[in-house]
Amino acid sequence: MKVFSSDCTFDYSWEEVSTANWRKYCPWNDKSPHVIAVDTLSRHVDPDTGILRTERLITCKQSAPQWLASLMGGTDTSHVFETSYVDPESKKVTMVSTNLTFSNIVSVSETVVYQPISATRTQFVQDAKITALCGGWQKIKNAVEEASVCRFRENAQKGKEGFEAVLAMSRRVFSEEKQKQQAREEMLA
Amino acid sequence: MSSSLAPECNEVKERYDSCFLKWYSEKYLRGKGTTDECAALFKDYKHCLTRALKERGIDRMLEEAREGSRENDAANLRRKC
Repeated sequence: MKVFSSDCTFDYSWEEVSTANWRKYCPWNDKSPHVIAVDTLSRHVDPDTGILRTERLITCKQSAPQWLASLMGGTDTSHVFETSYVDPESKKVTMVSTNLTFSNIVSVSETVVYQPISATRTQFVQDAKITALCGGWQKIKNAVEEASVCRFRENAQKGKEGFEAVLAMSRRVFSEEKQKQQAREEMLA
Repeated sequence: MSSSLAPECNEVKERYDSCFLKWYSEKYLRGKGTTDECAALFKDYKHCLTRALKERGIDRMLEEAREGSRENDAANLRRKC
């Protein structure tokens, strides 16, 4: 098993980050082209806690290294199942993801948490456990894990850059909408 | 907004996603979001998506994954004491 961890700070409020998070993989983010679709499977507000629970299916298309591609049966499309929990009271977003495809070869489970540091800054903490399951030589397992961690690291870095772009666009669009709204109100007044 | 894995669901998904995002930012985060105003739109989207998942055999993979995610609920859907 290999563990990948990273954390960073976004200079945006938790409200902005948690809202933009729903459209992290939109056309504003040109750094994560491997994510080709995000579908919502279920969503509800827990009546006891007020926590918003969402299940999503994330579809990726990314070619694997040649030697690994043959293990994966020649397909480059994969699916990730994500369950997320938003607690608006304690201001915490938790997202737990696991791979659906190639789960007989490698198990990737990831947890991401967004929490406020201050009124204008939000912390992102990511942890992933990567375990190769293919039977046989330890050498092969290690190679599968190494390749997965390497790809994970690349995607995480690009994901951050892409999310920064989404955050900036969201703030711009929001302030433009606010201005339009104000202009409308002034016209009516 | 992001696409659906099934192109035929894109239109209904777009409508639902826009509704949800508005509800989330304007109501839910402000403590006014107990009822789901986007439920009717979600129903349309879900109808389209369910068929697409079945056709692609993803529905069975999801069932297995859900089994494994029960413990996440226990950890993250804790009741207030």
